Amino acid sequence: MITEGHRRMSLFPSAFIVLLLTTVCLLTILTLRLGARSRNQRRKLDSLDVELKRSREQGEQQKKKLVERSGLDNVKDEFISTVSHELRTPLTSIRGALGLLSSGLLGNVDAKAQNLLRIASSNTERLIRLINDILDLERMESGRAALNLRRCSIYDLAGEAMDTMAGMADAAGVRLELSCSAPRDSIYFDSDPDRILQVLTNLLSNAIKFSPPASKVSIQIEANLDSLFLKVIDRGRGIPADQLESVFDRFQQVESSDSTRKGGTGLGLAICRSIIQQHGGAIWAQPNPPNQNGAGPEQGARGTTLWVQFSRSTRASDAPLPPLATRFARRGKGLIVVCDDDPGVRVVVAEQLRQHGYDVIEAGSGEEVITLAHEQAIRQAPTPPISAILLDLYMPGLSGSETLQQLKGATATAAIPVIILSAVAPTERPLCAANAQGWVRKPFSEELLLAELGRVLETRDATCQILLVEGDQKVAEAMMAGFEEAGVRIGHASTFQKAVDQCLAGPPGLLILDLTLPDGEDFTLVDWLRRQPALHALPMVVYSGRDISEGEMLKLRLGPTQFLSKAKVEFGEVEELVLAMVDRLRGSAAVPVA
Amino acid sequence: MRRILIIDDEDDIREVAALSLETIAGWEIITAGSGADGIRAAVDFKPGLDAVLLDVMMPGMDGPSTFRLMQQNPAIAGIPVLLLTAKVQGVDRRRFAGLGVAAVLFKPFNPLTLASQISEALGWKD
Repeated sequence: MITEGHRRMSLFPSAFIVLLLTTVCLLTILTLRLGARSRNQRRKLDSLDVELKRSREQGEQQKKKLVERSGLDNVKDEFISTVSHELRTPLTSIRGALGLLSSGLLGNVDAKAQNLLRIASSNTERLIRLINDILDLERMESGRAALNLRRCSIYDLAGEAMDTMAGMADAAGVRLELSCSAPRDSIYFDSDPDRILQVLTNLLSNAIKFSPPASKVSIQIEANLDSLFLKVIDRGRGIPADQLESVFDRFQQVESSDSTRKGGTGLGLAICRSIIQQHGGAIWAQPNPPNQNGAGPEQGARGTTLWVQFSRSTRASDAPLPPLATRFARRGKGLIVVCDDDPGVRVVVAEQLRQHGYDVIEAGSGEEVITLAHEQAIRQAPTPPISAILLDLYMPGLSGSETLQQLKGATATAAIPVIILSAVAPTERPLCAANAQGWVRKPFSEELLLAELGRVLETRDATCQILLVEGDQKVAEAMMAGFEEAGVRIGHASTFQKAVDQCLAGPPGLLILDLTLPDGEDFTLVDWLRRQPALHALPMVVYSGRDISEGEMLKLRLGPTQFLSKAKVEFGEVEELVLAMVDRLRGSAAVPVA
Repeated sequence: MRRILIIDDEDDIREVAALSLETIAGWEIITAGSGADGIRAAVDFKPGLDAVLLDVMMPGMDGPSTFRLMQQNPAIAGIPVLLLTAKVQGVDRRRFAGLGVAAVLFKPFNPLTLASQISEALGWKD
């Protein structure tokens, strides 16, 4: 069966060959007829032929490389999946047992034990987060994850890391010491504090592990005009000179038995370096100078200094950095599903999109896309929601048009924009064209594809960002005017049914609910929303003229929900709060709202 | 009262999940340590078995194979099956998507909300 993808791959070169052959024939006839000197022309033709062959070979090679790379990615994905599973399995028992114990449902425990349970629970949660972070890092390295940058104090972060590691240090009989020679106002830098804490605890854990008992590990902070330096100094056995650099490679340890004896994974320093490089900083290892305070007598035991360097923050406020996108050109722009039965087309399109900062999932059939889309819509998946689907029309099994119909026919997936990739024109397939949000004719250039994708995503972003459910027309008008002034698109529904219709037409990013609908329809609406896979986690602001009881709050809660009383807050404050929520939604487009 | 079958090769996870569902939701829980035992238990308890909570990574017959076998057995094919798995990566979730299970829940689960997650996934109102 020749699929459209194959046709597309072969159509272009064969057309070219036919053209070339025709030219050859014509020229030959011409040459014969004229009986003239044909050598020159033939030579030209030969060179053209060679040129054509070469460019075709180059194309093949490039394709092969891409396929090879995607094969490697698969191996990597598989590895990560196994590691993640092995870590989560014991954590499941721990989290379950601690959660039940600390809930008090199995009987009360005394205050001291309760406190210990709390510590254990919160650290379990932290460990789960950490595992997720490591997996995130994988995405970071492939340019698929964003840092949550904030203005931070390196001194505070170091202190926090030390507190975290105090238990381990005590157990090992190692003293931790923090000193800072940098002026108080020079210790700030832009960083994702969770990531930096991950780095610092990792460095401390290494230092403690390799320290002899009764020795100390020092953290020293220094600064110059444009940089911050943090040093972690241990008095352990040291790193041989030829391994000072390779310790940052994955699965590299100074001694092969370290991994089992010290309980490390061999990933620690590689992870540290990745995170620091993401921050635009640097990390390196250096042997301590001889005769340093506390150094051992023999050459091999004078220990190591791990240097970390960051650029200092020049910003005065600690507000989050606004233009993230410009700082990290490859920050995730959205998750795109590429569906084509031809793996060649998929790989090439996926790679082009990744190059331009999109996250990509490849799908080889319509069935796969549908399950994928449903699954993403229903589960509180750790991956972001799908921003758009690129869909081939001619596929074996479920065809593109059938796939489109099913996607648009289901509430959970109807709102996902679909762009058709096809050799036929939209006018030839009016039904598809009406259901799809975009259309790209094959063969297409990278620019064309990106332009259409950009257009479709922009249109989606521009649809109703906020839905105001308000029974009082006058109040609605006033509120809408306020928001429109602020440049936010807002839709209005005055009844339960209208709200449902609007939500089905295109899910809003946020819902404002004034408890003014008749017959308790507000509650019916929230109940309905809660049962919609695509809407159950919708952020909401509930705004009411009366006080809302706790029981009511429970019934009215969807995603992140804010309750405001008209008696206590001005409308301006509501507007401000809503705008802040919208901003947060926009800023965290890559994070699912759960 | 709901009756749930938990199939998981990890003793500890079976115990914790069972305790969680019994304590929080008051459901009756049956457990099995392998896919084969699970299918036997499902057949034995067929009347009144409301759902099966199925682990994915098990030695011998894994979760997906167990599910497929259950689907082929008309006596128990209609019981909704939820995967409860520590395989959470995108590559895994894509694999589960094509199976046709009622839902996929992820480990480590929150013991206080596991029951409501199940109810929600299966549209149970009680």
